[in-house]
Amino acid sequence: MSQPASSSTQPAGKAILLRHETILLGVLVAEWVYFYFAGTTVRGTVTLGFGTMNRQFDILRHSCEIGLLALALTPVILTGGIDLSVGSLMGLCAILFGKLWQDAHFPLALAIVATLGIGAVAGGLNAALITLLRLPPLIVTLGTYSLFRGLAEAITHGADTFTNFPASFLFLGQERVLGLPTQAWIFFGVTAAYWLLVHQTTFGRSFRAIGFAPEGARYAGLPVERRLAMVYILAGFVSALAAIIYTARLGQAKADAGTGYELFAITAVVLGGTSIFGGVGSIYGTLLGVLAIGVLKSGLGTVPFVIKQGVGEEMSGMLTGALLLIALTGGVLPKILSNWRARRQNARLTPQPSHPA
Amino acid sequence: MKRFPSLFLVAGATAALFLSACGGKSEAPAPAASAAAPAPAAGKQLKIALMPKAKGLGYFISVKAGAEKAAKELGVDLIYDGPTDSNAAKQNEIVENWITLGEDVICVAAENAEGISTALRKAQAAGIKVLTYDADAQKDARSFFVNQATPKGIGDTLTDEAARLMGGKGEFAIITASVTASNQKSWQNFIEARLKEKYPDIKLVTVVPGNDMKDQSQTVATTLMSTYPDLKLIMAISTAAVPGAAEAVKQAGKVGKVKVIGLGMPNENKPYVNSGVTDSVILWNTGDLGYLTVYAADALAKGTLKPGDKSIKAGSLGTFEIQDDNILLGKPYIFNKDNINKFDF
Repeated sequence: MSQPASSSTQPAGKAILLRHETILLGVLVAEWVYFYFAGTTVRGTVTLGFGTMNRQFDILRHSCEIGLLALALTPVILTGGIDLSVGSLMGLCAILFGKLWQDAHFPLALAIVATLGIGAVAGGLNAALITLLRLPPLIVTLGTYSLFRGLAEAITHGADTFTNFPASFLFLGQERVLGLPTQAWIFFGVTAAYWLLVHQTTFGRSFRAIGFAPEGARYAGLPVERRLAMVYILAGFVSALAAIIYTARLGQAKADAGTGYELFAITAVVLGGTSIFGGVGSIYGTLLGVLAIGVLKSGLGTVPFVIKQGVGEEMSGMLTGALLLIALTGGVLPKILSNWRARRQNARLTPQPSHPA
Repeated sequence: MKRFPSLFLVAGATAALFLSACGGKSEAPAPAASAAAPAPAAGKQLKIALMPKAKGLGYFISVKAGAEKAAKELGVDLIYDGPTDSNAAKQNEIVENWITLGEDVICVAAENAEGISTALRKAQAAGIKVLTYDADAQKDARSFFVNQATPKGIGDTLTDEAARLMGGKGEFAIITASVTASNQKSWQNFIEARLKEKYPDIKLVTVVPGNDMKDQSQTVATTLMSTYPDLKLIMAISTAAVPGAAEAVKQAGKVGKVKVIGLGMPNENKPYVNSGVTDSVILWNTGDLGYLTVYAADALAKGTLKPGDKSIKAGSLGTFEIQDDNILLGKPYIFNKDNINKFDF
């Protein structure tokens, strides 16, 4: 509570946030229970469909890359910014990783490190344009969104695909460690790191402060530009990590990697209660948002009606949108209701014109 | 410290999800009973899953129609699902979905051979039979590939059709996509071999690229007609080049004098075929492809189709040859004025 800019609004914001996350948790549990009953079948002694352990692992595996992007976007959106380029950057990093390994004959470990570096540099490009030239993040990353994907397609002529990765690399995306998919450990590790960054350090508080009032934060002596640069560079780095995991999961690196993932990630972040205007939000909300979308996407594929009609993908797009709208409405409704009640009460207590603060 | 309770809530919920999932393995019958209400005892009906490259494409919708016909005849439970756009990642996710749904056979038109193979091997490891059709995966990731057309079949059919239309002699030219494209190159080789072997009086004057674009192919075709005034036929072996060449012939007022044939889809060529500009369009019968795929899947699941078999019987379509592990759909199909309006893709 040391920032003057945020001290007046933070308690109210937090109350809404907590309520929002509770609602979302309820939605997640409800989804899961519904799919467990609607999407599980038994054939002889074998359980099939949603209620299997493999299915839970698949949910984790399929959510991992979008989850990483959502984590990276949470602090970005907290500062009132946006990064539309993360999905495209995945495509660029995936094919550069493939090229470094297959054409430049880098050892795999080195290729991974180099790719992560490239991701950070690409994030740095966003950061430079946003902080040095003071261009709006939406426009900057809209530009790099096309630039990164275009580069990836140009380098591969839109057709080259890198495959034949060794099993030691595919382990990262297809095997398990201590019972959990390998990439789930990475995802949880990154989640913990972001949680520390956003909730346990002064960095996190400065992100919120910048999101609430960038000028205020600047006057309060915060290094706004450096903080902003940090979140965009981190976003690039994490996108590269997501690209590597994606490549390992599919066993192929192609320029179309991560197409449209930026929108899923933004949806997860906003669903998780982070305000698109900045200032309010949390990593655990984002985690819930990612899981809610992951369970929905996976679960729909097990509902008999959806299977019969073959409309899993369409339904998941539709319901993800509906979920977002419901969650947002659910979060705002109590506030509107209490405002309305307060106004009525005020009106009754003080008939003469009042001057509320 | 206010933030801790909700963090624990999340952690707890996540843990609960996994615990109950673990439990699900052993005590799932209870919820399942209500879920599987429609067909509780009929566990014997075969479940076959068919995946297109992209489910909205007319091409695959017609494959699906043939597949459904076969499924009805065989009494199998057929599901059809795939990405809305050609997307390897989505294909994998759908295959993984089918693995936990316990499908008996999975049939896939692979968007990317290596990408899908990981998921298909996983399916095989789970005891699911795997077939590919239209576009193959890696050999060890499936039992059979239902091969719709061999390069030789395409080359021979195109050449024979051209020879028939030209009356066995004269000059013709080929419009290809690009001179380096490997599939086009191999068709061209088979065309040249067939000419040498069977039609000594027909001369292939040139092969020019149209870059698989209609406008460019049209320009190229116009140039061809002025460069070779005796040209009797243009053969377009890239799909965009067929309507392109037809448009050029129409605008040059040489309909009937310069014939057009090519490799392409019925819909985009219908206007030209119906008005007599294009004589024939060659592809395969996609409905038959779906039909044969489902019959092969059924036979594979029942054990009547085994590695090493030389042929397979597919309902009303009769017997098909198997070469190695490729089930051959056989001769390409010729779409012309008489039949093209029956197809919609």
